[in-house]
Amino acid sequence: MNIHTDPLGAAGLAFYSKISASISHEIKNSLAVINESAGYLEDVTLMTRKGVPLDPDRLGALASTMLKQVQRTNTIIKNMNRLAHSLDEDFKLVDVNELMDLMAHLSERTVVTKGFRISVTPADTPVAVISHPFFLENLIWLMVNFAMTVCGESKTIGMAASKAPTGAEICFSGLDRLTEENFQDFLAQDAGMLVGALNAACHGAADKAMMTLSLSGDIHHPEAVQKK
Amino acid sequence: MTDKVLIVDDEVDFLNVMSERLKTRDMEVTTATCAKEALKLIDKKSYDAVVLDLMMPEVDGLQTLKIMKEKNPDIQIILLTGHATVEKGIEAMKLGAMDLIEKPADLNTIIDRIKHAKAEKIILVEKKNEARIRDILTHKGW
Repeated sequence: MNIHTDPLGAAGLAFYSKISASISHEIKNSLAVINESAGYLEDVTLMTRKGVPLDPDRLGALASTMLKQVQRTNTIIKNMNRLAHSLDEDFKLVDVNELMDLMAHLSERTVVTKGFRISVTPADTPVAVISHPFFLENLIWLMVNFAMTVCGESKTIGMAASKAPTGAEICFSGLDRLTEENFQDFLAQDAGMLVGALNAACHGAADKAMMTLSLSGDIHHPEAVQKK
Repeated sequence: MTDKVLIVDDEVDFLNVMSERLKTRDMEVTTATCAKEALKLIDKKSYDAVVLDLMMPEVDGLQTLKIMKEKNPDIQIILLTGHATVEKGIEAMKLGAMDLIEKPADLNTIIDRIKHAKAEKIILVEKKNEARIRDILTHKGW
């Protein structure tokens, strides 16, 4: 497979590998804290053997730190698992709020490292559309990365889902440096290909500093697989 | 003489526990959670070694290393990374890092590198002093 014979696959692989690298870094960071905490327990054991009294408050705080890191790692791995399973099926009923939340979490490390933050606003009511979960995740990730390049001074990217007459919309706001030119350049790459594959629409509104992804709720999609 | 170490990492829990462990080994430890804070600290005080995380928000470890070396070419910097590759290692050494260690790291390895950093710093200071004395003797012509 290469970018010429399977551009969608190549884009998907690039997305998956970037996310995997980010996840592995995060897990390593958690392990580093757990490693140091375990080392500290070893130190405390040695000191106790030499007659230094144990500090139960300090031990309690250390235990909390370790538990916090275990929870953090567990969440990271759960999200990784959700991403992996999004390839189980092609088109299916997708909960847009859940998917947007997953992508916000998976993108968080990259976003924070670059000095930005994502502010997520789920739809008031559950919103589901027939879509390809993995391609949609890939597209949202590309949109987040693009949003960072056109985000304003606030360095905050807003992501809000809502029900729409055609199905659902995900709106990215805070894009003060969005122009028609840079938006079209963005669509000319992998993002445009994914929009087409998803039977979706993507619009940029530079005057409102936002871009919107419109997802069709067409349950009669030819490749749709409805799930209860 | 107590080893003076500056640890820079955005992971506060990691920073706190490592700091405590190094202090129990009689090191004088200062911590910073970001590059900005670290750069202010090195302007005010001299450290035997700086232990610097590679991946930090806004200004990453390599960029911070570069700026630190520009401010003080003799500063000894040990980089910490979640994934040490040959390419990263080469880039880090080119920018003047003393070492690149992968997380989670063995504390004894880090301590060994800190001691080595201090020794390197002493050698550099002595060389500079020697050169200064030689210069004075040459120009004064006593």
